[in-house]
Amino acid sequence: MMSVAARSGAFFPYMQATAFAVPGPLKALVPGVVIKGDQILLNPKKTFLCRESLSGQSAKTGPAVTVSINGNGGVRFAHTDIRVPDFSDYRRPEVLDPNKSSQDSSEARRAFSYLLTGAATVVSIYAAKTVVTQFVSSMSASADVLAMSKIEIKLSDIPEGKNMTFKWRGKPLFVRHRTEKEIAAEAAVNLMELRDPQHDKDRVINPTWVIVLGVCTHLGCVPIANAGDFGGYYCPCHGSHYDASGRIRKGPAPLNLEVPYYEFADDDTVMVG
Amino acid sequence: NNRSVFTNQNQKGFNVLLAKYSLKQRGQASVSYAQSLLGAPETRLTALDNGLRIASEETGQATCTVGLWISVGSRYEREKNNGAGFFLEHMAFKGTKKHPQSALEQQVESMGAHLSAYTSREHTAYYIKALSKDLPKAVELLSEVVQSCSLNEADIEQQRGVVLRELEEVESNLQEVCLDLLHATAYQGTPLGHSVLGPSSSARNLTRHDLVDYINSHYKAPRMVLAAAGGVNHEELVGLATDHLSGLSFEYEGDAVPVLSPCRFTGSEIRMRDDALPLAHIAIAVEGASAASPDIIPLMVANAIIGSYDLTYGGGKHLSSRLARLSVEENLCHSFQAFHSAYSDTGLLGIHFVTDRNNIDDMILVNTFLYYRMNLCTTVTESDVARGKNALKAALVGQLNGTTPVCDDIGRHILNYGRRIPLAEWDARIDAVTPKIVRDICSKYIYDKCPAVAAVGPIEQLSDYNRVRSAMYWLRF
Repeated sequence: MMSVAARSGAFFPYMQATAFAVPGPLKALVPGVVIKGDQILLNPKKTFLCRESLSGQSAKTGPAVTVSINGNGGVRFAHTDIRVPDFSDYRRPEVLDPNKSSQDSSEARRAFSYLLTGAATVVSIYAAKTVVTQFVSSMSASADVLAMSKIEIKLSDIPEGKNMTFKWRGKPLFVRHRTEKEIAAEAAVNLMELRDPQHDKDRVINPTWVIVLGVCTHLGCVPIANAGDFGGYYCPCHGSHYDASGRIRKGPAPLNLEVPYYEFADDDTVMVG
Repeated sequence: NNRSVFTNQNQKGFNVLLAKYSLKQRGQASVSYAQSLLGAPETRLTALDNGLRIASEETGQATCTVGLWISVGSRYEREKNNGAGFFLEHMAFKGTKKHPQSALEQQVESMGAHLSAYTSREHTAYYIKALSKDLPKAVELLSEVVQSCSLNEADIEQQRGVVLRELEEVESNLQEVCLDLLHATAYQGTPLGHSVLGPSSSARNLTRHDLVDYINSHYKAPRMVLAAAGGVNHEELVGLATDHLSGLSFEYEGDAVPVLSPCRFTGSEIRMRDDALPLAHIAIAVEGASAASPDIIPLMVANAIIGSYDLTYGGGKHLSSRLARLSVEENLCHSFQAFHSAYSDTGLLGIHFVTDRNNIDDMILVNTFLYYRMNLCTTVTESDVARGKNALKAALVGQLNGTTPVCDDIGRHILNYGRRIPLAEWDARIDAVTPKIVRDICSKYIYDKCPAVAAVGPIEQLSDYNRVRSAMYWLRF
């Protein structure tokens, strides 16, 4: 580098990274020109040779930028010229002061970050679970199908002593408005006589109303209401007699008529299913 | 600094020649380690009226080292005059008021002495290595260099070029560049982030006025130690100091005593990527213990467990450090070393390694995995700690192999601790370290802390900072 500079003659001041003036015994030292300001003035008309250096004419001036075809080029003289930017805009308030140790606040800062991360994780897991369940449960029964699984019955339409049949889940549903006499009679039945012993109060919520599935427990025929020897139902297929509580009394059926899940919305309405 | 296995101090001086002296034990066939610890000569400490401290260790040799250790460094500089200490060190031997340059050189050479200096972030030292009988002359020259340096304008102008050339040269020492950048990012916005060399604009723009200002603000007797080791007599030394150095000022202009404020550590990273370089230099460090903290000993033991490694180490895969074994077996790196730079109220505890561009990720994984969690914070064993303790003791003793290292030790200890800590005390403190202490202290400084990362070279493979940060903890613990 220095040898090329020596050979370049007229371009010597521009070739070096630095130049200095030393006072001789007779000549006083003339201070170099100090260029102030951030802008580096470059003459675009000057022809560019192998090596150029924007460094001014004395060691005191400006930055050093070197451009070279067959040598090192750079905009920075040394690694010590690197300025770490000021990140104050992004710092948390506890670490804004450069004269305070950051150790004191480190636990608090970490706790805050981890707490936030933890909370965000919980929320995301919950959100993910919700999305997944929504998609998976879309494969289950749709609303219209589910609607058909329940039936709402207006009880004031059924006169006393009468039985009404509804279609529910593809099966007949018997709703019987019992008289006082029937209620008393069924309650007094001795459980020992019954093939499938169940007390009447275990089969009804409100003794006035008996709600059972109208499917004979023998082979599945539909019994006829208000028929048979026991004041209840009679299955014509094989002769099973049920009483006013739907219990089997005579005939081949092994079990009582099934009691579905139902609840009274109010005195006049019952929801079965 | 730092009594760590790898001394990492920015030693910027010229003519640093370490002559190898051996401590001669007269008339004894062999001495046990314990005996030699107790038999070491005591370091005597006196203070002058102006606050200057004088410390010496007399070993009766024919040579000696005497020097002035000053508690000033790049940490005391501001943005505007960063690099003043370094520049001043260059100017120091260019002549004094009584001895112009050639006369000064002639005086030193005719004694056959070596005159050297170094500047670091918190300390500056000027010292002479000479024959013991030349002690008076040496102290006189030292006092002149420090008190009445001539600082000619012409010399200053000439030295600008020298300093700039030195800056250019240091660019090729990538280890220095990497560690400088590590300090710059770890202590960003604080004086400890300043490099000792200063930016190139300092070399171009510092004036005589700045240098004189620097001397007047910082070269004060209470912050100086005259240390000597070798064939020196303490009383003689005190007498010489009274003659030559009692004129050192101890008052500050406007009572403006410079107080060191704490320096904030920032977990951050700086990357100087250059794919044209053959090897990548990477340093990762967390905030460590200060020089006077009691935690320093377990941290030094921890560093000794990690150790250092270089491609040229003959041990290969039989090296005791686990990280070194892995480096050999899996060809992870060219070299690494664990370091701990301790300053007066903070420190950098870390690892510096050199590797090629395809092994960076593996090295970091192994390094952070191994160094930070597995070995040190959680599962370090009794045998590891015993090995580390022995290695540390051997290193501490082995470093003091001559009057110059001993003198340096004395100077720095007095500045850091206020007294010289004898080897016997180091030994006792090291012996008190147990695996549990190592685990606890390392967890305190390393586990789940934000590191500072500095990397130079072909570092494309270096993972994102967040990944390095999350390698500092395990979800298992």
